[in-house]
Amino acid sequence: MTESPGATPCPGAFARAWAKAVSGTSYLPMTQAQLEALLDRLTGQLAGALLTEPFDLRAGHRVGAELVAAHIASAEGLGRTVEVIQLRLVRDLGLVAEDVEDRMARLLAAVATGYARALRDRTLDEQESIRRAAMRARTQAERALRASEARFRHQATHDPLTGLPNRTLFTERLAAALNEPGRGAQRVGVCFLDLDRFKVVNDTLGHQIGDLLLATVAERLRKAMGEHLVARLGGDEFVILVEHTAGTDDMVAVAETALAAVRTPALVDGHELQISASIGIVERQVAGANPTDLMRAADSTLHWAKSAGGARWSLYDAERNQRELARYALSAAIPAALERGEFYLDYQPLTSLRDGSLVGVEALVRWRHPELGVLRPDSFIGLAEETGLIVQLGGWVLAEACREAEAWSAGGVAAPFVSVNLAVRQVHRPGLVQEVRALLRQTGLPPERLQLEITESTMMSTAEEPVRALRVLADLGVRIAIDDFGTGYSNLAYLRDLPVTELKVAGEFVAGLRSPSVGRTDERILASLVSLAHALDLTVTAEGVETAGQAERLRAIGCDAAQGWHFGRPAPADRILARIR
Amino acid sequence: MQRPDWAPDTIDIERPSVARMYDYYLGGSHNFAADRAAAQAMVAAVPEAPLMAQANRAFLRRAVHHLADAGIRQFLDIGSGIPTVGNVHEIAQQLDPQSRVVYVDVDPVAVAHSREILAGNEQAAVVQEDLRNPEAILAHPDVRKLLDLSQPVAVMVVAVLHFVSDDDRPAELLRTLRDALAPGSYLVLSQASDDGRSEDERAEAERVYRRTDNPLWVRSRAELTALFDGFELLDPGVVWVPEWRPDTPESAEDAERAVFMGGVGRLGD
Repeated sequence: MTESPGATPCPGAFARAWAKAVSGTSYLPMTQAQLEALLDRLTGQLAGALLTEPFDLRAGHRVGAELVAAHIASAEGLGRTVEVIQLRLVRDLGLVAEDVEDRMARLLAAVATGYARALRDRTLDEQESIRRAAMRARTQAERALRASEARFRHQATHDPLTGLPNRTLFTERLAAALNEPGRGAQRVGVCFLDLDRFKVVNDTLGHQIGDLLLATVAERLRKAMGEHLVARLGGDEFVILVEHTAGTDDMVAVAETALAAVRTPALVDGHELQISASIGIVERQVAGANPTDLMRAADSTLHWAKSAGGARWSLYDAERNQRELARYALSAAIPAALERGEFYLDYQPLTSLRDGSLVGVEALVRWRHPELGVLRPDSFIGLAEETGLIVQLGGWVLAEACREAEAWSAGGVAAPFVSVNLAVRQVHRPGLVQEVRALLRQTGLPPERLQLEITESTMMSTAEEPVRALRVLADLGVRIAIDDFGTGYSNLAYLRDLPVTELKVAGEFVAGLRSPSVGRTDERILASLVSLAHALDLTVTAEGVETAGQAERLRAIGCDAAQGWHFGRPAPADRILARIR
Repeated sequence: MQRPDWAPDTIDIERPSVARMYDYYLGGSHNFAADRAAAQAMVAAVPEAPLMAQANRAFLRRAVHHLADAGIRQFLDIGSGIPTVGNVHEIAQQLDPQSRVVYVDVDPVAVAHSREILAGNEQAAVVQEDLRNPEAILAHPDVRKLLDLSQPVAVMVVAVLHFVSDDDRPAELLRTLRDALAPGSYLVLSQASDDGRSEDERAEAERVYRRTDNPLWVRSRAELTALFDGFELLDPGVVWVPEWRPDTPESAEDAERAVFMGGVGRLGD
């Protein structure tokens, strides 16, 4: 390197000018001083390249690449660099060479080339790196999504309280077990389990304890059932799916195991809880079974176990189920049958034991069913009471009895009273008094010729309204009889408060009178009842009298009247009345 | 079916990301076409945008330098973005290789990229979390592992708070962070400011950022100063970022063109 004799070279000034030129063209992660130091070093390389023989392009390339590596890496950075080198390098450094212009052009070309190459490489690297990052982020997001979907699926198919599969999962598994191809000949079973009186735990110890108990029961069932699916359907209802059974014995064994698991006393939050469960078992061939029917069957079977007292299993019985279904169908048909006039009344005589006269008749409803023939009350009254249809039916019976009975006095003979059964719901219904009063007015039947029969259980409730209603009716002159006396609670207290006219003693006591030895106790009970009733100014009618012997003994006891086959079976009114005319 | 709230984000590189737009302003190529289009639209509206990013990055560098010189060896950088040129761990670990740095960003791509850059660096980590969820940041296992909160930490909230709306209560977010810090800790804060901007410019910038997942919330010097509640502001207070302890007097010229204001506060003993 030779120095120009005319000018004062100043390499520092060039580097400073260069630094100023590139500042702000892109972000430079360094101080101005660091930048100047870097560019000062590169200035030396440029000066060397300009003067070295032979000219080496690679020196220019290196400078360009170093600029990019130092993040002076924008288009503006290159433009300003070219400009400042061209304008100031030779002058500021006092460089002298023969072909300096030619060399300068080649040097700038080399710097630009090196710069562009390095920038291109860096750009491609960065692009690759950000794409890789995006891909990785996407993979991760998808993995997280799958995990969350699995979690969501688990949440959607499990019960949060017990961690057991829920109804959704159970239904899926049951459907899968029933629809699996080639399984038609195999058998499948379900145990529908419900805790007995679980509500009591919730009501007395609180829902928190109830929940803990459910969790305990769930855990026990899960352990006891091994590979069989145990699901919680909700509340205290659990279900066990046995996908392969050889017959009902297998299912009974499963049910016994489940009952035993529940029966063990559980220590829950300091309370030792003894609980039992009821189970409905359904076991059948896969072919022809569908989940809905199977679960419905399991549900009704569970109710059989419940109504038998709980703490037991019941096995599904198709015939029993059929009977129940038929009963339900029958009860549902009552309103339409009333409209079509399919009901009618038979009457059974109530006969005086003193003189054999007909004192009254009990109205008994009959259903002339278009397909099943004449039905007796025991085949439809029970369900009518459960469903509430008894109010409508009982109302019709009462009205019809009043209507018919009024006509009986036409002959001028002392007409018998008509005795009509009132169901619990009818007595507890507001408006009973108005209903009876309106009937008596419409039909013209004298009140004393109407007797209402209520059962002891009707009076078990503490409600005052029914008592008041009966008292009003009694004041009108209507007779009030207690039906089936002696079979219920036989609480004598209400006899004091109630305006009762008559006790009807249940047939059980009368039945005992048929054999002299066995009947001794019954006879004493009856005798006591009769004397009690008479002391209270009540009359006594014995029900279910079938023989002359029974009648004789009842008369001896002092019983007032009797009813039963011995005195006449239920029959249409005209047949009964024919006897007294 | 409605997506449950714990379902993860999806990655959509067709939507611009503020982290990658920032990289573009800094001259990087860690960005996609959508990011560049949005960044260019921003530049058309606010020509200083690249300058803003560069000035802010230089502020970050000077602040970290200063704090490292003051003895800080733990850094929590929230809203770190694409950690390319001149990032906190580069600066801090250059001064002391034992300096520990945790980056936090909400952008999954930025986080994945940071993870790649930090691979093998035992003293640095990245966490995907949102500034608006400071409890989760403080409780994150990686934060707990690398940072000892009983010792001073520098919390960097640099160029990110303008993406947090007033509804998200930035003062409360900062207070939650502050309450977790030991005396002698620092808060480094900067964000876009509207001091001296025309309505048109502000509306245009907000319109551009509305296309990203992050609309823009500019704040005044007074508002920013209030955010240092509980901290002692170091000189020169909250200023245009080029004015914060510049390397040379010239580099602080035309400072308001940088749009970002910032400052550094120290948590007293």
